[in-house]
Amino acid sequence: MESFWVALKAIFVKDVIVELRARQVLPTMVVLGMLIVYILRLVSEPASGAAPLVGAAALWVAFLFCGLLAQERSFAAEQHQGCMDGLLLAPCDPGTIYLAKLCVNVVVLCVFEVIIVPVVLIVFRLSVGARWPDLLAVLLLGNIGISSVGTLFSAAVQLARTRGSLLSIIVLVILMPLMVPATFALLVLFGALPEEVGGSGSLAFVGSFKAAAGYMLAFDAVFVVACWLLFAVVVEE
Amino acid sequence: MRRLLFILAVFLLTASTWMALTAGQIVPVQRNILYAHVPSSICALLCFVVLLVAGIGYLAGGRDIWDMIAVASAEVGLVYATILNATGMIFSRAEWNVWWTPSPRLITSAILWFLYVVYLVLRVNLPGSRRRRARICAVFGIIAFLDVPMVFLSARFIPDMHRPSFSFESTWQSAALALAMIATVLLGTAMIWLRTDSLRNTLRLEEQFLA
Repeated sequence: MESFWVALKAIFVKDVIVELRARQVLPTMVVLGMLIVYILRLVSEPASGAAPLVGAAALWVAFLFCGLLAQERSFAAEQHQGCMDGLLLAPCDPGTIYLAKLCVNVVVLCVFEVIIVPVVLIVFRLSVGARWPDLLAVLLLGNIGISSVGTLFSAAVQLARTRGSLLSIIVLVILMPLMVPATFALLVLFGALPEEVGGSGSLAFVGSFKAAAGYMLAFDAVFVVACWLLFAVVVEE
Repeated sequence: MRRLLFILAVFLLTASTWMALTAGQIVPVQRNILYAHVPSSICALLCFVVLLVAGIGYLAGGRDIWDMIAVASAEVGLVYATILNATGMIFSRAEWNVWWTPSPRLITSAILWFLYVVYLVLRVNLPGSRRRRARICAVFGIIAFLDVPMVFLSARFIPDMHRPSFSFESTWQSAALALAMIATVLLGTAMIWLRTDSLRNTLRLEEQFLA
C-alpha cells in the first residue's frame, strides 16, 4: 500500500511538473474551449431565448473536445525515447500508472474548467445563484467520467498515425450516455428545467437533479474501476 | 453442419414471411415492418453479448479463435443494427411523421450502431502486432458492453414515444413473429460461423505463404 502511494505521487508530480514547465496542452485547451463557446454563442444568436440550452451544450462540448487534447498528450509524451518502457519497468502495478495519469488529466481539466465556466456564464448570461456547490459537483463528476475512458484508450492508440481521430471516436461514443444526464443536471441548475420532471409515456421516467447526479456518479465509478482493471492488458507488449 | 443451419434459417425466414403475408397481416400496413424490426433488434443485442464473451475469452486464454469470433460477431451485429435502425426510421416516418427523434429506444439503437462502427474502425486502424490489436479490441468490446446498461439508464432522462409492444389480433401473427425471430437468430449464428471460418482460413494462408 505504501509503495502504491509513492508511485502514484511520483508519476503525478512528474507529469504536473512537465506541464508547468513546458505548458504543452493547457493554453491550447483554453483557446480551443473559448473558440467553441464563442462560436456556439454566435450561431445561437437567433435563439437567444434558449440561452441555457445552448450554454449547457457549449459547456459539455468544450469539455469533451478539450479533454481529448489533454488525454491524447498524456501518453504521447511517454513515447519519446522509450519513456513508456521505463514507466512500465517501475516496480508498481500498471493500474497505478493509470490512476496517476487519470489524476493528472482530471486536474488539468479542472484548471480548464476554472477558466471556461465563468466565460460560459458571462457569454450566455447565465447564473446558478446559490447553487454553485451543486454546479462544482456536476462539473467534477463529468470531468472524471470524461477523463476515465480517454486516459485508458490514450495508451492504446499511441503509435497510430491517426491517433487523435481514433481516440476521439472511441471516447465520444462511450461518453454519449453520460452526456444526457450531465446536460439534464446543468439545465436544472440554469433554471431551464424544474427540479423534478414529471413522468410521461410508457417508461417510468425519473428525471430529477438528484437522479442525474447519482447516475453520473455510477457512470464514473463503473468506468474508473473497469479502466483501472483493464489498463494492464492495454499496455502489455 | 453450418450449411444446413444456413439453409434451415433461410427456409424458416421464407416460411415466416409467407405466414406474415397471408394469415398474419397487421393493419395498418406499415406495422408489418415489425416482422423485420423486432428480430433484428434482438439479434443486434445478442451479437453484442457474443462480442463481450469473445473478448473475455480472448483476454483469459489468448487463443486466436476468440478474436475471430469477436470480429465476426461485430460484423454481423453491424448488419443487424443497420437493419434495425433503417426499418425503425421507415416505421417512425410512416407512424409519427418524423424520421428520427431522440426517444430512449431510438437513442439506444443509434448508440449500438455507433459502437459497432467504432469497433470495426478501431480494428482496421490500430497499429502494432496482431495480438496487441486483438487485445485492445477485446478491451474496447468489454468497455462498450458496460456502456449498454448505461445507455438504457440514461434514456430515463428523456420522455418516450416508442411503444414497446403491439397487441396481436391473431395467433398467426405471433407465430409468424416467433418464427421470424428463430430464423433470424439461426441466420446470425450461421453467418458468424461462416465468417469465423473464413477469417481462420485467411490467417492460415497468411502464415503459410508469408512466413
